[in-house]
Amino acid sequence: MTSLFGIGKRQDAPVDFVLDPAAEELDQSRRNLLRGLGLAGIATAAGALGLVAYRDEAQAATADGTSGQEHQWCRVVDLRACKGERKCVAACQTRHGLPPEQTWMRTLSWHDDAGKEFFMPVMCQMCQDPPCLKVCPVSATIKTEQGVILVDQDQCIGSRACMAACPYEARYFNWNAPAPTNKMPEQSPNTSEFPSNQIGTVGKCVLCADRIPYSSDLPACVEACPRGAHFIGDLVTDVAVNGQSTVKLSTFLREGNAVRFKEELGTNPRCYYIPGNGQPVGGPLEGVR
Amino acid sequence: MSSVLESTTVRNEHPDVIEAAMRPFGKPSRKFLIAALFLAIVVAAGLGAWIYQLRMGMGVAGYTDSSFWAIYIADVVAIIGVSYGGAVVSAILLLAGASWRAPLVRLAEGTALVTVLVGAAFIFPHLGRPDRLVGMVIHANVASPVFWDMIAITTYTFATFVFFLLPLIPDTATLLASNPDELGRGRRALYRFISRGWVGSERQRHVLHSATIVVAIVIIPLAVSVHSVLAWAFALVSRPGWHESIWAPYFVIAALYSGVALVILVAAGFRRGYHLEAFITKKHFVRLGYIMVALGALYFYLTFADLLPSAYVGEIGPTEIVYGMLLGSVAGWFWLFLVAGTILPLVLVALPWTRNIGGIVIASILVVIAMWIKRVIMVIETSGYDRLTNSFGELFRFTWVSITMTVAGAAAITLLLMLLFRVVPMLSIVEMQELSPGADASDEGSASPTKSSHGRAAGVVGAVILLMVGIGAVGVTNAQPARAESLAAVATETLPVVTVTAVEAGPENTVTATVTLNGQPVPGVQVNFYESTTMFAPGDNQVPLGAMSTNETGMASIKFVAAVTGPRTITATYFPTVLGDPVVGTANLDVTEAVSLYAPTPPRLLATAGQTLALILFGVVIIVFAILIAQVVRVRRVCRPVAKGSGEPVHGN
Repeated sequence: MTSLFGIGKRQDAPVDFVLDPAAEELDQSRRNLLRGLGLAGIATAAGALGLVAYRDEAQAATADGTSGQEHQWCRVVDLRACKGERKCVAACQTRHGLPPEQTWMRTLSWHDDAGKEFFMPVMCQMCQDPPCLKVCPVSATIKTEQGVILVDQDQCIGSRACMAACPYEARYFNWNAPAPTNKMPEQSPNTSEFPSNQIGTVGKCVLCADRIPYSSDLPACVEACPRGAHFIGDLVTDVAVNGQSTVKLSTFLREGNAVRFKEELGTNPRCYYIPGNGQPVGGPLEGVR
Repeated sequence: MSSVLESTTVRNEHPDVIEAAMRPFGKPSRKFLIAALFLAIVVAAGLGAWIYQLRMGMGVAGYTDSSFWAIYIADVVAIIGVSYGGAVVSAILLLAGASWRAPLVRLAEGTALVTVLVGAAFIFPHLGRPDRLVGMVIHANVASPVFWDMIAITTYTFATFVFFLLPLIPDTATLLASNPDELGRGRRALYRFISRGWVGSERQRHVLHSATIVVAIVIIPLAVSVHSVLAWAFALVSRPGWHESIWAPYFVIAALYSGVALVILVAAGFRRGYHLEAFITKKHFVRLGYIMVALGALYFYLTFADLLPSAYVGEIGPTEIVYGMLLGSVAGWFWLFLVAGTILPLVLVALPWTRNIGGIVIASILVVIAMWIKRVIMVIETSGYDRLTNSFGELFRFTWVSITMTVAGAAAITLLLMLLFRVVPMLSIVEMQELSPGADASDEGSASPTKSSHGRAAGVVGAVILLMVGIGAVGVTNAQPARAESLAAVATETLPVVTVTAVEAGPENTVTATVTLNGQPVPGVQVNFYESTTMFAPGDNQVPLGAMSTNETGMASIKFVAAVTGPRTITATYFPTVLGDPVVGTANLDVTEAVSLYAPTPPRLLATAGQTLALILFGVVIIVFAILIAQVVRVRRVCRPVAKGSGEPVHGN
């Protein structure tokens, strides 16, 4: 149904990674769109050529959330634990072979009036209503069935509309040749889940999606944080881990008064921040190692 | 660039339109050749710069992540913008019945055609991977404003071409009839093709006039759509400075303003180069100048209206952008634009002693350059604004690559115009003959407006436009109680014992732990409960369910609802001493009824509106193409009966 990935490529992927059923609905919506014009001939022709698709968050919302979706991945960043060591950033740069100026994860820092420094790692927030997906003219940004936003580097034409649209400044462009492809410690299969960066295309955090379902390895940033500030979680099974401890996601978010970044923009991000930098880590985790 | 046909002052009182229009057709003068060669070298340098950029990446053009959109998209907006000038002078003034426009229309329409092509070409260097441009068609995303940019520009280009072509039919027929020998073989063949079947009959003129009116009506909303959709490529993202509702009309007015300025420059250039003083007079420049400064005043007003709400409310992002323009990083450029681009032209046209051709041409040069600067400011300032730190990154810095390409764009426009009017007449011959009372009355070949057709065609298209406007999981396999077993083996009689029972009742599971020490219940101690999960590495994760104190019988119990079904191990731990090892009890629980807290996001308000809009827009685009093609077909059809063979059209001159 979809030519977003080469079929062979997908079979090579070592994980149960499936495209959003919304992508399958593209065909349907495309047909509806054209049928609505009352131009059956054009609809047949265009449908056969796969010319036109309407991609935005509406499709994802109409997908049946309960059927066939085993996991819905999310992130939790416990700002109480973050001390700005930026080991997550370094691990990400290394794993994806990124040049210094291209950081898929940034750790912001600022000082309060008393001179105390605060930190906040920011990366792709895995919005469920992603502004970047809507504006892509060539449908290169994709949302998977499990809620991960990825870029098909083989389809990207480098219009950078997504960079304009992202409110989290989480997208980066491969401006210069040679693209930083070959510095990676492991060979990139050049899939959307683990892209090899190509010149003239856009890159961003992929949530180390090649490691889904994270049963043997966690995302590089999660593994790298010595303080356990980064969590990878699953909304369906209601579990999150930071490589050191395991939490019940809903309880953890509730008790930590978790917030989402720029909630007012309606992007519906899947990254939760637990505020309160400087507070001791405590609560229900006591005794669990 | 004077041509060899230097017979400029043929008949002073009755200037010969045909002779004048054909002046560029002769052997090119030395000045022309030098200019064309120079421009060609500049264009070639631009292409070379582009090839260099393709090889080295867009970084060599000055692009960075904090200036991800910059000079090329500003070039696209500015150059496609100036093409609107052609639409004003020809379409709007045609519909307004302003007959003084006649000597300018061909030049204006040619400018519109050339600039829209060159402007659209700047999309190529703007893209990181122009080699994949076909993706815009084969993987098109209808929700993207960039997709509609493509559609709008394509439609507008087609309309501009038709609008350029239709009036050429009688003009080429006239030239074929009057001066066939001076045309040369190439032009003769082309003109025969364009004007085949045209005899200038009453009916032909009627249909051509009506078709021209229809295309003129269609081209105005099309031009509005092009500049609006270009604006929406910016305004449909939430960046401060771009996310402005005023941007679409702001871009339209900017396009009109700079477009009229360019028409003035082109008219001045051809007037001087080919000695058209008898046709294009000071009167034309003054009238165009008035139109230009009226649009300039409107643009000034819209600039104020764009900035005031942001600055007044004081929301951090938009305020930073306004500050950057008025006092900050791009302030110098902004004030240069404001003074040189809106105030000085107004003064030059307003003052009687500068309200002459020279003054108006200087005003137009200022406008064209200042409006380009304004577009660059608008693009690079917001592009450099980081919404996470609320500060500006490094703004775009020009490099030789991007400057060479932009200059090459300007050179390409000039060169293409020079070449275009060596192929087709630069004056609208028939229209001018008809309007000039002393000129030869050439009935054949003139398209005289008849009120009825004008009104009816306008009515039909108006209705169509009104119509257009109106529509406007579970990875859990088996629980692994490994750790619980090993820990239980450690327990001895001296340690407390925790025994666990877990019972499922509907979706709710009750887990009870009993803490005993040597058979006696231990009250008042805290027991922590966990369930095992197979989620996430390393694989034996214990998810905390909560903590509860034991009662007098040593029992602690909690209820929980599992998120997923399947077997799991329930663990209860109790720390007899603060620092010691915990005492652990386990039980197996196979959950058959689970309730996940996860629910997919409900659809946003207006979630399906985009799809409906896209559908309507597709309909509109198809209607527009149908209208335009129908006009060409209409005109061709009335020419058909006579078009047997390739007979020369009959002309009595």
